[in-house]
Amino acid sequence: MSDLSNLPSQKDAIAAALALYPARPFAVSDIGSQTGWLKAASHDARNLYVSGPMGLATSVALGLAAVRPNEQVLAIAGDGALAMNLTSLATIAGAKPKNLSILLVDNRVYEFTASVPTPTRELDWLAVGRAFFGVEQCMRLSDLTPERWASVARPAMIVADIAAAPAKPPALGMTPAQIRLDFLKAAKC
Amino acid sequence: MAGKASGGDALFRSLVAAKPKLVTGVPDGMLAETIMLCEASPDFPYIACAREEECIGVACGAAMAGERAVVMVQNAGLLNSLGAFATMGLRYGLPFVVIVTNRGALADPNGYDIEKREAFDAGVRPMARVFDFDASDLPDDLIPAAFKWAEAARKPVIIALEKRLGAEAAA
Repeated sequence: MSDLSNLPSQKDAIAAALALYPARPFAVSDIGSQTGWLKAASHDARNLYVSGPMGLATSVALGLAAVRPNEQVLAIAGDGALAMNLTSLATIAGAKPKNLSILLVDNRVYEFTASVPTPTRELDWLAVGRAFFGVEQCMRLSDLTPERWASVARPAMIVADIAAAPAKPPALGMTPAQIRLDFLKAAKC
Repeated sequence: MAGKASGGDALFRSLVAAKPKLVTGVPDGMLAETIMLCEASPDFPYIACAREEECIGVACGAAMAGERAVVMVQNAGLLNSLGAFATMGLRYGLPFVVIVTNRGALADPNGYDIEKREAFDAGVRPMARVFDFDASDLPDDLIPAAFKWAEAARKPVIIALEKRLGAEAAA
């Protein structure tokens, strides 16, 4: 665990992860906190804001990566969310998509639910990621540069320890139909 | 004279005819032959998920990009996935096809399947369109027709396969 007094915000961590790519990847965010902070950090037609059950972003991203094999896809999951779909890591490790990565943003609380602590708050997510994807395919965001990230084989996982936000992110303000149509245009380009 | 294709082979051929971009699933005995044919197919990737709710997510990811995706699970697996089915598939209006083996039929009376079937009737049918078929006698155009229906309706569709009395064993 990093020094809690010096952690980036979720918004800044998402922006930093996106900046590792030479071209904008598709970004698939989990419901609630990740979706709100992704929009605040970098609203883009290539963002897919998931409103499904917590944790499904990694699975949605896997489906997207499978049908767009020449595009990079980044799934953005919170620690509480990913714990709800931990089996997706096994599925992704088995499917071996060469274009899919996961950004795990760990604030150790359910930010959208009154910041109740998560059961995984003492879990070593780096070790979890390395167990599924390998030592060289899972690293901390603070250790990455664009050059290093470009050399990492996928599937891969980035672990970002983040500060718990003092407030929820701004509301998404988009209907499901808007999200779908905007994303469809970007995905068809 | 060539023998009649098995139910699993007929389902696979119908799947291929629909030209999906991916197929995903969790095994059930009635789906095993089709899944193995899908895994060996060069026509599309088969994504083997650890849990059924993941399959719904995978299909939604493909459908969000405007591509055809098929899910294959048992009725109990779909019951495990209704949150994802509703809040992704129905909420976003995504036209993917879910093939469900509806265990616990009159010709399929395993004691551990009975409540699955009753829960399927109580929980799934009120929220989604289900078309029912004899697993041993599937039309060649089943999955292409299912996609046409789903794309016209702008929502996922469920194809429920079951064993029927007097029919050839499907698995």
